[in-house]
This record gives sequence, C-alpha cells and structure tokens, in this order.
Amino acid sequence: MPFTLEQPTTVEEALRRLADPTGGPAVAIAGGTDLLLDLDEGRVSAGRVVSLRRLPWNRLQWQGDSLVVGSTLPFARLGADPAVRARLPGLVDAVDAVGSLALRHRATLGGNLGRAAPASDVVPILLALGATVRLVGIGGHRDVPVGRFVRSSRQTDLAPGELIESISIPSAPVSAYVWQRVRPANDVSQVGVAVARSDSPSGWHVALGGVLPAPTRVVEAEALLARRRPNDAEVELAAQAAAQRATFVTDKRATESYRRRLVSTLVRRAVARALRTEVGG
Amino acid sequence: MTGPLTLAINGAHPRTVDVPDDERLLDTLRWRLGMKGTKEGCRTGDCGACTVLVDGETTLSCLTLSREVDGSKVTTIEGIADDPEGRKVQAAFEAEEALQCGYCTPGFIVALTGVRRELGPEASTAALVDGLQGNLCRCTGYLAILRAVERVREAPR
Ligand SMILES: Cc1cc2nc3c(=O)[nH]c(=O)nc-3n(C[C@H](O)[C@H](O)[C@H](O)COP(=O)(O)OP(=O)(O)OC[C@H]3O[C@@H](n4cnc5c(N)ncnc54)[C@H](O)[C@@H]3O)c2cc1C
Ligand code: FES
Ligand code: FES
Repeated sequence: MPFTLEQPTTVEEALRRLADPTGGPAVAIAGGTDLLLDLDEGRVSAGRVVSLRRLPWNRLQWQGDSLVVGSTLPFARLGADPAVRARLPGLVDAVDAVGSLALRHRATLGGNLGRAAPASDVVPILLALGATVRLVGIGGHRDVPVGRFVRSSRQTDLAPGELIESISIPSAPVSAYVWQRVRPANDVSQVGVAVARSDSPSGWHVALGGVLPAPTRVVEAEALLARRRPNDAEVELAAQAAAQRATFVTDKRATESYRRRLVSTLVRRAVARALRTEVGG
Repeated sequence: MTGPLTLAINGAHPRTVDVPDDERLLDTLRWRLGMKGTKEGCRTGDCGACTVLVDGETTLSCLTLSREVDGSKVTTIEGIADDPEGRKVQAAFEAEEALQCGYCTPGFIVALTGVRRELGPEASTAALVDGLQGNLCRCTGYLAILRAVERVREAPR
C-alpha cells in the first residue's frame, strides 16, 4: 500500500500529525529497518508515515550517573561513544550485536523498543541495567521501567499517538551481553543473556532474550549470584536456575532444549565477560 | 504523494528529481536515475548488495526512503574511483580477483571504502571485516575478499 511521508521538525508537530485522523492511520518511523519491512509485507498498514528523524532526539547526554539516549540516535553513534564504551560495556555489547554496521547507521534504540521483538538483542541489557523509557504524548511525559514498557511479543505500553522520547540508563561498568546465532551478522539471536552488577542496591541483574513472550529478568538466578565476585560454583547454580526458569520455544533457529542448554553456557560467559575489566577482586 | 528530492551524487552538482514518498533510495538510483551499479539482492537488509554511502556512512539503500535523505551527498559504485580510498579498494579487489559473478562486488567495495573512512587507516583487519559482516557473497567463499581487505590495509597511504 503506498503511503505519504511527513517529516516534522518539532515534537509538537509530530504528535499532532500522529493524532490527526484525516488521511487515515499514521505510523512513526525512525530508522525504518523494521517498519519498512512490516509495511512491505503487510504486517502494518498505514497511509501516512511520520518520520522522527528531524526531531531533536538524535543525541545522548549524561545526567549524573545515568546515560540518556535520545530515541532516534542511530546505534552506530551510541556504540562508538567513548564514555558509553567505558561506563556501559554491556550496552555496547548489545548495540554492536544488532544487524550489520550499515544497518546500525540507521537503526535506533527507540525503534527496537517500539518493535518489542522477543529476540531483541537490546531489550535484555536494558532490563538488566534497570533502564527507564521516557514517553511523550499530547498530555505530557511519563516514565516507564523497561520491564513494564515491553509487555509481550510486539506489545508495548505505548498509548495511541504516544512516542518514545529517550531512554535513561544507569551506568554499570560491570555488565555484559552475549548471544548465540547461526550467522554472526544479520541473523536473529537464538538466545541472548545480559548481566549487570549494580552498587545501589548492590547485586546482579540477569535478563534473557529469545524467550517467550518477551525478554525477561530471572530473579532466581540473580539471588544465587549474591556476591560481587561470585565463585564458579555459584555462577554454575545461577546458570542452571536461569535455564530452568525461562520459557523457550522450538523454531527454525533452534530447539527448545538447545536453547535451554545455551542459556546456562551464556550465563557463565556473560558473568565472566562482565568481570573482565576488574582485575583481582 | 510525490515531492522533490535533491541529491549530490558522486561529487556532481546537486540534482533535483520528483519522487514518490514511499520510494527507496535503491529504486531512485537504479530506475529513476538509471544507475544500475548498485544491486538489489534481497530488499530486506540482509545481503549488503545495495550498499551506498550517504554523507559518508555505509547505508542499505533498500531500507532507506529517498525523501528522508533529501539534501545528502550520495556515493555509489559508479563514483567510488573518484575517492582515493575507493580507488585503492577497487584495485585490491581486482588484484586479488575477489569476485566471480560480481553481483556482490559493488556492495563490498562501497562498504569497505566507507568502513575505512569511518574507522581510519589504522583500523585492524578484524574491525574492517566486522564492518563487512552484512555483505554476503554466494560465489567466492570469501577468502579472496579477505585477501583484498588485507591488501587494502597494507597499501601505501
Ligand atoms: C537485516 C536486519 C538485521 C537485524 N538484526 C537485528 C539484530 O541483530 N538484533 C536486533 O535486536 N534487531 C535486529 N533487527 C531489527 C531492527 O533493525 C531493530 O529492531 C532496530 O532497532 C529497529 O529500529 P528502527 O529505528 O529501524 O525502527 P523502525 O523500523 O523505524 O520502527 C520500528 C517500530 O517502532 C516504532 N517506533 C520507532 N521509533 C519510535 C519512537 N521514538 N517512539 C515510538 N515508536 C517508535 C515504529 O512505529 C515501528 O513500529 C534487524 C533488522 C534487519 C532488517
Ligand atoms: S538489497 Fe539491500 S541489503 Fe540486500
Ligand atoms: S561474486 Fe558472485 S555473489 Fe559474490
């Protein structure tokens, strides 16, 4: 179905255009790497597409210890930022995992959250880091934790006409994301594991991707990782707990039992990777 | 709806054409402007055959709306030899015979040129190869392409 493209330059105008009923249903586009395929293949139909690329959301800033990522900042710019690399290595692992470099020049964090794919490589690390999504609508702003924003496969907390403005992410120098795929690039991860250690309150967060109905934290595994530097036996128990806890599926990319085994391996790798920057202990 | 699109392609003066709102940059280049060097392999972002540089960045032209890049500079395979880095990459592909059918080659050459420009001359082989992960080749088995990457890295500045 052909569509018209609108390219507003202010947030007010974008919200107004999305809410405007004349001319049929409208949908927002950021990088377009999900949406254009959804439109081509008829999963989404809209006569009007409203581009967010000219809005002033294409940037990042630090607010105290938290990184605030504008929703339309392309992944390539986020992953190349030296401060982000130092203070949020797990986020960089996840960003670098998305698609290919050319794709990352356009694809955005806001679009990844908007799509809410169960196999997203980015949602697990946002869960583990305790990120918050800032939404804006005609009525104003609201802040929603990522775990509540992503509700289910392709279901988000976005109300009609609402947009993701930014994502706030507390820094965590001890964090990592690891994944397994058939092909390294442009393939969907069979599973992904994100871990992050926070100091306040102190403790580990563990989140899984490639599970149904949506990426999820596994508190049972987190409890078993209690110490700042868990020993091998503790990591092993946590890995097993993560594998037992989640709901995996069999599809063309992997069987349910393979995914379960992968998760425990990836939990061990993720914890080791997160601790790699800390010498001794 | 259609609207004006102004692009400066391969160093030429900006040129304006009227394009439909939902047209992809790939189709503007190939069918509206007759520049068939940029290839369509999948149209789903998977193969990299359609890679062009938009304001210097490697871009999948099959997943890019033309009107969203209005006002940009675009480099395609047709213009890559005007860029000293592009010429070097092209020569390395030739010297290593890093192609068979050649369908993927424009995408590889444009992508490697863009990645070298983005990461700088010191970029490691691993970093360059990472930048090519989204380019598929069904013929060569990649070994000759990897040799071409090495050759570009070792070429005199
Ligand atoms: C070849 C290929 C490989 C891929 N590989 C991966 C991968 O490895 N890992 C992975 O996680 N994903 C992958 N993806 C999926 C996709 O690239 C990502 O989900 C990307 O982050 C989407 O961002 P975008 O800006 O392109 O979104 P768009 O396509 O522009 O938008 C996606 C959805 O979000 C909505 N949206 C966008 N921005 C906002 C906003 N600010 N507020 C509200 N709603 C918004 C849109 O309306 C749409 O519904 C891949 C896609 C392709 C085509
Ligand atoms: S045609 Fe664009 S990536 Fe294959
Ligand atoms: S040479 Fe034929 S696809 Fe690469």
